Amino acid sequence: MSDPDEARRRRRPRVRAVAAAAALTLVAPMAACGSGDAGGPPTINLYYPPEQNLQKVVDDCNAQAQGRYEIAYRVLPRQADDQRVQMVRRLAAEDTGMDVLGLDVTWTQEFASADWIREWTGQDKAEVEQGTLAGPLDTARYEDKLFAAPKNTNVQLLWYRKDLVPQPPKSWDQMITAAQQLKDQGKPYQVLTMGAQYEGLVVLYNTLAESAGGKILNDDGTQAVMDDGTVRALEQLQRFATSGVTSPSFTNATEDPVRLEFQSGAGAFQVNWPFVYPALQEANPELAKQVGWARIPGVDENTPSKVTIGGVNLAVSSYSRHPELSFEAARCIRDAEHQKFSAINDGVPPTIEAVYDEPEMTEAYPMKDTILEELKEPATRPLTPAYQSISTVLSAILSPPSEIRPQQTADELRSAIADALQSKGVLP
Amino acid sequence: MSINATPTGADTAVEETERHATVPAQRGSRRKAPLSENKKAERKLGWLLCAPAALVMVAVTAYPIIYSVWLSLQRFDLRFPDERQFIGLENYVTVLTNEFWWTAFGVTMLITVVTVAVELVLGMGLAIIMHRTLVGRGLVRTSALIPYGIVTVVAAFSWRYAWTPGTGYLADLFSDGAPLTERASSLAIIMLAEIWKTTPFMALLLMAGLALVPEDLLKAASTDGATAWQKFTKVMLPVMKPAILVALLFRTLDAFRVFDNIFVLTAGGNETSSVSMLAYNNLIRGLNLGIGSTMSVLIFITVAIIAFVFVKLFGTAAPGSDDGERR
Amino acid sequence: MATGTETTTRARLRWGLLDVLVVVFALVPVLWIASLSFKTPATITDGNFIPQEWTLDNYRTIFDTDQFVRALINSIGIALIATLIAVVLGAMAAYAISRLDFPGKGLLVGVSLLIAMFPQVSLVSPLFEIERQLGLFDTWPGLILPYITFALPLAIYTLSAFFKQIPWDLEKAAKMDGATQGQAFRRVIAPLAAPGLFTTAILVFIFCWNDFLFAISLTSTERSRTVPAALSFFTGASQFEDPTGAICAAAVVITVPIILFVLFFQRRIVSGLTSGAVKG
Repeated sequence: MSDPDEARRRRRPRVRAVAAAAALTLVAPMAACGSGDAGGPPTINLYYPPEQNLQKVVDDCNAQAQGRYEIAYRVLPRQADDQRVQMVRRLAAEDTGMDVLGLDVTWTQEFASADWIREWTGQDKAEVEQGTLAGPLDTARYEDKLFAAPKNTNVQLLWYRKDLVPQPPKSWDQMITAAQQLKDQGKPYQVLTMGAQYEGLVVLYNTLAESAGGKILNDDGTQAVMDDGTVRALEQLQRFATSGVTSPSFTNATEDPVRLEFQSGAGAFQVNWPFVYPALQEANPELAKQVGWARIPGVDENTPSKVTIGGVNLAVSSYSRHPELSFEAARCIRDAEHQKFSAINDGVPPTIEAVYDEPEMTEAYPMKDTILEELKEPATRPLTPAYQSISTVLSAILSPPSEIRPQQTADELRSAIADALQSKGVLP
Repeated sequence: MSINATPTGADTAVEETERHATVPAQRGSRRKAPLSENKKAERKLGWLLCAPAALVMVAVTAYPIIYSVWLSLQRFDLRFPDERQFIGLENYVTVLTNEFWWTAFGVTMLITVVTVAVELVLGMGLAIIMHRTLVGRGLVRTSALIPYGIVTVVAAFSWRYAWTPGTGYLADLFSDGAPLTERASSLAIIMLAEIWKTTPFMALLLMAGLALVPEDLLKAASTDGATAWQKFTKVMLPVMKPAILVALLFRTLDAFRVFDNIFVLTAGGNETSSVSMLAYNNLIRGLNLGIGSTMSVLIFITVAIIAFVFVKLFGTAAPGSDDGERR
Repeated sequence: MATGTETTTRARLRWGLLDVLVVVFALVPVLWIASLSFKTPATITDGNFIPQEWTLDNYRTIFDTDQFVRALINSIGIALIATLIAVVLGAMAAYAISRLDFPGKGLLVGVSLLIAMFPQVSLVSPLFEIERQLGLFDTWPGLILPYITFALPLAIYTLSAFFKQIPWDLEKAAKMDGATQGQAFRRVIAPLAAPGLFTTAILVFIFCWNDFLFAISLTSTERSRTVPAALSFFTGASQFEDPTGAICAAAVVITVPIILFVLFFQRRIVSGLTSGAVKG
């Protein structure tokens, strides 16, 4: 057997040199980084989801600030989960680099309870509450204090084919019957909406539950209720899923695929956010002419629906170095003028009621009256710091909707939600 | 020098006897003069060569890993920092008595076993083609490796499109309904996507293993009238054993942590959640650091057991095992 | 290394057929991604494998701002540096593990495997805190370091497996035949080690190239954001519209460096043991 010792000894210096070089490469760039703050006005870092024309709003606010502050728009990832993770991770580390945060309406209570965001008080609070719709404002409160300023809201509508359906249905059962008739006649008949195991399914269920007068949680969001109304909503969802009028992809469908399916002409009805309309006009103008909109059907035909609201709230980080300026910057971004701009250019519905009366809105938002009607009687998703856990539980237990057994599923949900509220047990 | 001097050993028996004869002798001599100049130098060189790698790995991962294990022993939800407390193994009891965990565990095991087994067979075939083909070798090698280079999430999205009725070319071809809305077909598609994506990883490692098979041995075996199968099992496999172990080991580690494909294709719907998705839901979405870390540790333990079994099965072919290094 | 004796047309045909099979298996899904990237928004969901209406708009979109180009530069730089360092460090350690006898060897092999096994999702948050305190957050080294770390186990294992199969005696034999130490290493050992080294390089490069978890968690601006992370900042026309076309176009573009990298390195993965070497 060989003995390479001699060879090794001779090669050693070279090995050392390589090791040293490798170590240097590792260390050198580390030393090179690290930067200081430059002079000039304080920077307000705005962390906000991607919105195409928000930079223009930011520029405008910077001009109005006249050098008192400079907002820098730091774009968050597209997916809601990625947005939340990034903010949570940095807030948990008490990062001072974030000032104003764009929070999905369902996160406000969570961030407030963890002391990651500041309460709005005094003049800032008064200005935000002035003229803002009650529903969106509710999503910004935690324990009766205001923790965020609603920047924009959102509601789903019923989109239907006027050439196939003369009158929009008043209830889900009417809609199912109408679709079944269309199916028998061999016409496009499907009712398209989101049914995959994710937030979209929770939004659908929450709309049904609130429309049926049900409560998932008690009023202060501390206990699981799951009353009769929520059971009726489960029955409705199950009936819908098994009626044969959904798309075969229903249990795997998210917003954009639903829009695309309707766009291709397969559906007679679509329950989806308003973004589908401008997209439809662009992609299939012929079909767009045949499409009407209405308030989402109720569970009873005589009780109008209550529709789940979405949207974004602006909050100020507890670790911001410039809290006063941050409140001011946030107010500027969400003021009436800028909400109108964003509504027209980025399609996000305003939270200030008066903006809907602006003349330019009619052209950009032909469906604004229906939106406003839904917004005035809205359904919020459970307002609790544990919302994300509840949502995970709801979507997992409700999926697939065809296998819901109403009373039994309600009991299962009640105990799973109770656990989630106390952060007990395992999330699915 | 004869062919037997190579580590491959067309004739393994001969090599075994050689080894048995020499290794104890060596050990014996080592014991007699433990601090000889040569040995000291060898030790020093060994440490010196390993130090940079070891330092980097330890510096980056020691704290995060220890911290995760520590978290798994606590009740700690980021949203309720006041309720943080040490609870010993309670989180482990919670997770291990939960049916979501076991469902996900079963799904993950199924995916791991099926994909790794299929990939080993496909990868071996692919490696032989890539290594021995007479025409267009560069083309085959490069195109075969492309799937591994595609960003997983994008690939998963394209599969999702392909398998959704109306938007894809595969859905209508293979079924009437929507294959991603049923458990069996969803799992099959997830596994297909995994296999397509990572077979090249297997194949590349195995191909590099094939490159070590001496042509002479193959030729000698041919002259002796060995069939193709005999050449494969008696000549090629023994040489490739270490490469196969590494390929199997690292693919299994990865397969058991499957996440992206499921996340995009079904989001865990219809009971297709994997243990990594469960850990993600608890740790990242639920911000329950205690339970989430517990799941991470459990995944880690499971994978460690699998790895241990592999290393034992392959015995001396495992890196660092104390026999074959000096020839 | 053709089999030499029978390079007949039939053999070529058989291999050709197998080649086609492999290429189809590997590339059809890739072509589907490419096809999506060339479709117009109106036809992207028509389900046709070949686009009915072709457009380059998606490619224009991604090169519209310098966001994507910056990410591409970051990706290439970070992946190349991390690959180089990981392979060098890995080769050093693997050489020691496969050839030298020293205490602590088993520990190193074991620990590196443990590191590869721990679910990365639970390591990211503590890592983020460390990097933020050291000022490494959102810098190239901030990504390069974890990439080296998590690539090293694979590199060490792969390389030890290959180094172990190298008949190091040949080096001695060559020297007996009058070659110098350098010549022996260059002519005999290096060619034998090359397949393992280049294989490792390809695997490590692709690992760094495709990583999403660290890229999204340890960066926050264009300064160090890599392509997989940048993809999640692409936006559709509105909040809920997926920028599928643009993402597919980006996926096609970033496959090009992979192809070049593999093209360059795959030639070097050839049978190292020729008869000449063995007979010395």
